[in-house]
Amino acid sequence: MTEVRDAEARAASRRLLATSERELQRIVLDMHDGPVQDIFAALSQLQVLERALAADPTAAQRARQAVRLLERALGEIRNFIGAFRPPGFERRELGQIIEGLAVQHETLTEQAVELELSGELGDCALPTKIAIYRILQEALANGHRHSGATRQRVSVERRGLSIALTVSDDGRGFEPQRVLAREEDVGVEGGHFGLRGIQDRVEMLGGTFTLESAPGRGTSLTVALPAE
Amino acid sequence: MIRVLLADDHAIVIEGLRALLDGEPDIKVAAWTTDGTEVVKLVEQHKPDVVVLDLELTSIKGTEVIAALRDRTTPPKVLVLTAYNDGESLRSALDAGAEGLALKTESPQQTLTAIRQVHAGQLVFPQAARRWIEGRASAPGDLTPREREVWALVAGGLTNPQIAERLGLSDNTVKFHVQHLFSKLGVKNRTEAALKYAHGR
Repeated sequence: MTEVRDAEARAASRRLLATSERELQRIVLDMHDGPVQDIFAALSQLQVLERALAADPTAAQRARQAVRLLERALGEIRNFIGAFRPPGFERRELGQIIEGLAVQHETLTEQAVELELSGELGDCALPTKIAIYRILQEALANGHRHSGATRQRVSVERRGLSIALTVSDDGRGFEPQRVLAREEDVGVEGGHFGLRGIQDRVEMLGGTFTLESAPGRGTSLTVALPAE
Repeated sequence: MIRVLLADDHAIVIEGLRALLDGEPDIKVAAWTTDGTEVVKLVEQHKPDVVVLDLELTSIKGTEVIAALRDRTTPPKVLVLTAYNDGESLRSALDAGAEGLALKTESPQQTLTAIRQVHAGQLVFPQAARRWIEGRASAPGDLTPREREVWALVAGGLTNPQIAERLGLSDNTVKFHVQHLFSKLGVKNRTEAALKYAHGR
């Protein structure tokens, strides 16, 4: 009886995850199709204007200010969109998606990612693919924000019926219990789902989660999720 | 004069870029369209040097347009212009064989610079995409490690004196390596070497 309920709960969680992915995709596509195009077009026109106003320094100065403001707005959207467009989960293989994320992280942060994709990963169910992607994204972002390390190591491999992902750095490390407890209390800032969110995703899919870290000792996160 | 064709679903983007590009003394917008299926026909008619193409077209896949342009005997340079600064855009642009990538989330001035760079035979991709560019190179077996280094720098758009400085060699030594590199790769010039580097052809 409990097993049936567990299975139902797990199926419901998977549906919920798929729905939030779809929502995210919709928001990102709306941003891309609306504000980004408008601001880019406005900037092009403004730069023409700025040049035409060369004879009037005060007016040219104002145009330049407007250009700077719009560039800043674009920069903020860039960071958001760059981080959040879901990749072609249906079209791309897991390895390609992970490579894409590594390149994306390096482009955005200039922090190096050492990537190790060993052997054939084999088929991978969609929910696992999405979870691996989101967990890696979160782990890389955390490592960039908090570790102080110049590079992170990522490895993905097939272990029997599971896909295992390890993200590690030799940065400043932290006390896992304290961070998890704090997230429980005050939640996670800045649209990130944090360590607790990683753990929740892993549990929903019936996987395992291992976190090793201590102040001054670096951090290593390993998750294993069912491949099918 | 760099002749440019603009293809983007968003008419306002085309309008903005046209205004900006037409103000440049060395650039002329030869044609533009909001319909991706028109691009190949327009390229035939106007023979532009550079096609600035949004990847996210509604009427046809941007990557298909690039593939069709690649099949021409003298393909124009393709600069992908996209709102997405992510691995997916980079990968698609590289796989399709574009010469560069510019972002709508950067200043249009960057697009302008990128147009001139791809026209000059450079590959314009972020540093982080190197691993893909290198991974796809056909890497003929008989290249020496030094020739490989030189190849990467040629593909990055560096001149011989710049390569010489980077590798701590004399200009003549670099010239020598470049000649050997070209003959081993079977290419005639830097542009072809850079393309071969990017697309593994």
